[in-house]
Amino acid sequence: MNILEMKNLTKCFGGLTAVGNVDFGVPKGIISGLIGPNGAGKTTIFNLITGVYKVTDGKILFKDNDITNKEPYLISGQGITRTFQNIRLFKKLTVYENVLIACHSNGNYNLLESVLRLPRCRKQEKQLKQKADDLLEIMGLKDRKDLIANNLPYGLQRRLEIARALALNPELLLLDEPAAGMNPDETAQLMTLISDIRPKFDLSVLIIDHHMDLVMGICEKIMVLNFGCKLAEGTPQDIQNNPKVIEAYLGVEG
Amino acid sequence: MSRFLQQLINGLSIGSVYALMAVGYSLVYSIMNFSNFAHGGVIMLGAYFGYYYLTKLGLPFFVAFIASALTTGILAVVIERGAYKPLRERKAPFLYFIISAMGASIFLENIVIATIGPTFKSYPEILSRTPIQLGSVTLGRIDLTMFIISAICLALLVFFIDFTKMGKAIQATSYSVKASALMGINTDLVIIVVFALGGFFAGIAGVLFGMKYTVYPQIGIITNKSFIAAVFGGLGSLPGAVVGSILLGIIETMTSGYLSSNYRDLIAFVLLIAILVFRPSGLMGKITEDKA
Amino acid sequence: MDLYYIQGILMLAGINLMSVLGLSLLTGFTGMFSFGHAGFMAIGGYTSAMMTVNYGWPFIPALLMGALTAALMSALIGKLTLNLKGDYFCIATLGFGEAIRLVLDNVQYFGGARGWPGIPNYTNFTNVLIINIIAIIILANIIRSRQGRNMIAVREEELASQIVGINVFKYKLISLMISAAYAGIAGGLMAHYMTFLQPKMFSLVKSTELTIIVIFGGLGSISGSVLGALVLTSLPEILRSFSNWRLVIYGLSVIVIMISRPEGLMGGYELTPSSMKKLFTRMRSKKGNLPKSMEGGDTL
Repeated sequence: MNILEMKNLTKCFGGLTAVGNVDFGVPKGIISGLIGPNGAGKTTIFNLITGVYKVTDGKILFKDNDITNKEPYLISGQGITRTFQNIRLFKKLTVYENVLIACHSNGNYNLLESVLRLPRCRKQEKQLKQKADDLLEIMGLKDRKDLIANNLPYGLQRRLEIARALALNPELLLLDEPAAGMNPDETAQLMTLISDIRPKFDLSVLIIDHHMDLVMGICEKIMVLNFGCKLAEGTPQDIQNNPKVIEAYLGVEG
Repeated sequence: MSRFLQQLINGLSIGSVYALMAVGYSLVYSIMNFSNFAHGGVIMLGAYFGYYYLTKLGLPFFVAFIASALTTGILAVVIERGAYKPLRERKAPFLYFIISAMGASIFLENIVIATIGPTFKSYPEILSRTPIQLGSVTLGRIDLTMFIISAICLALLVFFIDFTKMGKAIQATSYSVKASALMGINTDLVIIVVFALGGFFAGIAGVLFGMKYTVYPQIGIITNKSFIAAVFGGLGSLPGAVVGSILLGIIETMTSGYLSSNYRDLIAFVLLIAILVFRPSGLMGKITEDKA
Repeated sequence: MDLYYIQGILMLAGINLMSVLGLSLLTGFTGMFSFGHAGFMAIGGYTSAMMTVNYGWPFIPALLMGALTAALMSALIGKLTLNLKGDYFCIATLGFGEAIRLVLDNVQYFGGARGWPGIPNYTNFTNVLIINIIAIIILANIIRSRQGRNMIAVREEELASQIVGINVFKYKLISLMISAAYAGIAGGLMAHYMTFLQPKMFSLVKSTELTIIVIFGGLGSISGSVLGALVLTSLPEILRSFSNWRLVIYGLSVIVIMISRPEGLMGGYELTPSSMKKLFTRMRSKKGNLPKSMEGGDTL
């Protein structure tokens, strides 16, 4: 069963078609991958799913609900969340504050209750803070909770961004080049992390990445994108043996 | 009909001076993406420099003109070096630029109040106050001069931007500072030139204003209207700044001619809000989509 | 300097503080600049004066009416302009502030540009003090709640805020409305302190002055705003002969602050008993030589 369906998805910037007629389903409960050469339109697809860009044509269905062109905060509320290629944390806030803010969707006390510090506000504040603490514990960031996010080492910033995404209780997690700029050691750690959190948080995951060992290693289904169009889709074995994919990545001889 | 023609001519004259000021706002905005509120202060000082060059130094009219334009050109560059360059180097958020600009504007206005005083100063009579009569329409000599000088200056600016190497560099930098720097354009120099140009025209506009009205420290507030004109035409677009200014000038004189001069300022600000609500990119500005 | 004189200065500072607190929420915590807050003060001032003078309302309900009117006006402005990017919102508030002043210039019911004398003198030291204390408590409570943290998130990074489920527009609007309500109360206090209103009192210079105080005190710090309002209102009053140079120094210091210490006096920190204690223990144990990375903000 697919948790997310893209139907005939198209995005044009002026005359340029960045994504053209893409059909793809993200299966529930597994890790899928989205690969393709630079400029193939991978990040654009993430921006379309999360509502950052407006869709030119086509449809996006999440759990059979149409989420095409909804505001990003509404899409996040439905259970889709993401990380960014060029990490977008609340840089000047602490690690703890970054996660706590993302936990807010779990609280619903109103402004008047905040102003008067009514019991419901106090109680929920406690719960939100507990949840943030728990997440930091799980993600191994607890001992750095009071650091300013921007001062974290690069790898941990990526980890924090994932922690922040998990705070929203997502059902679908989109990771945009999570291993960018990491050495093989860190990449291996990241692979373990992603494989661990997927069942723990009952997630479906879609990853964009250039590290083929990472994508081939943990993804059960892969889509290849080239010049905004779908080139192939299937299991890692299918993709590795697909002549069109080999051609797009390596070029043809002669 | 003659009343309409009369207001139209007055509008063109005032609008052309607005245009001279508005291009200063637009030039800076096109490159640095912030509203340089210090520009109003520079225009005000231009009026004062012109006044002192004429009365204290006794310079001939045109010499005083050029001299005050050169002075304000230098002043604008000094402001850039002092108030904006450190921010540029630190890649500060654009809001810091606006605040710094506001600070510079307050500083300029009040240093004049503190040193020279808040009183009005009137220019010596350079041009005869007797107007030229053209049928049923009267044409003030100062108004005519304002229009002609502004038109010449704007023509020179167009020539500079379109036909010189530096002008091309300014155009390139307005598309992308980063890419231009990579292509070997000295963007720091471009920024200096842009401020110098804006300051130069500010000086001319200041002297024209001083001749038409009088000189006083809050003259910068009138120059806010040229800023509105720049927004009206589309911030960052030079043709937009000119068209917006002329239109604003005409709308203003029509308002005071047909309604009441009390509403003259009000209509300008209402127009500003209306433009921002219905077409924030202005008449000729470009609309951009955010990139994630 | 007798007690009466000092009280007078403190009242002026308190009235300023009221609108600075509101602006602090908008600028310091939500990251939006307004050059039209004097306009909201004007709305609050004229509305509350109308209530006490023409309808005989008691002072406090009249103040609240002024706050409500200012907030509603801000909601209207906000709905129209909050979607504008950066610069353009500032420009819109500037236009709004000036438009309000120019409209009042032409409303003869309120005395037009000549002004409106004979407003009862209801503002006194006690009610200014109490209102400010309540205002500070409310603000502090908002900031350490989920709504306040959402505003801080919006200030830091709008796109990331959207992605973590924050309705950016809504929180900007709430922040603007609260901030306008505070300015409205400040306007009402001012009207019943001066016993006289004139549109000129609410010019662009007034708006800019408020913004300067917020920046001077430090963006994202309530105690900074309090300090800023007290210092920047009372200093020039005490140094009367100096008054011509006041705005010169204001202007210059804004530039200096921006290029050297943009975080302002308090730089996002708060003066609370717990933060003072932390500071002292830190100074004792490590002689204040902590790396920057270890400094946690106390804003939440």
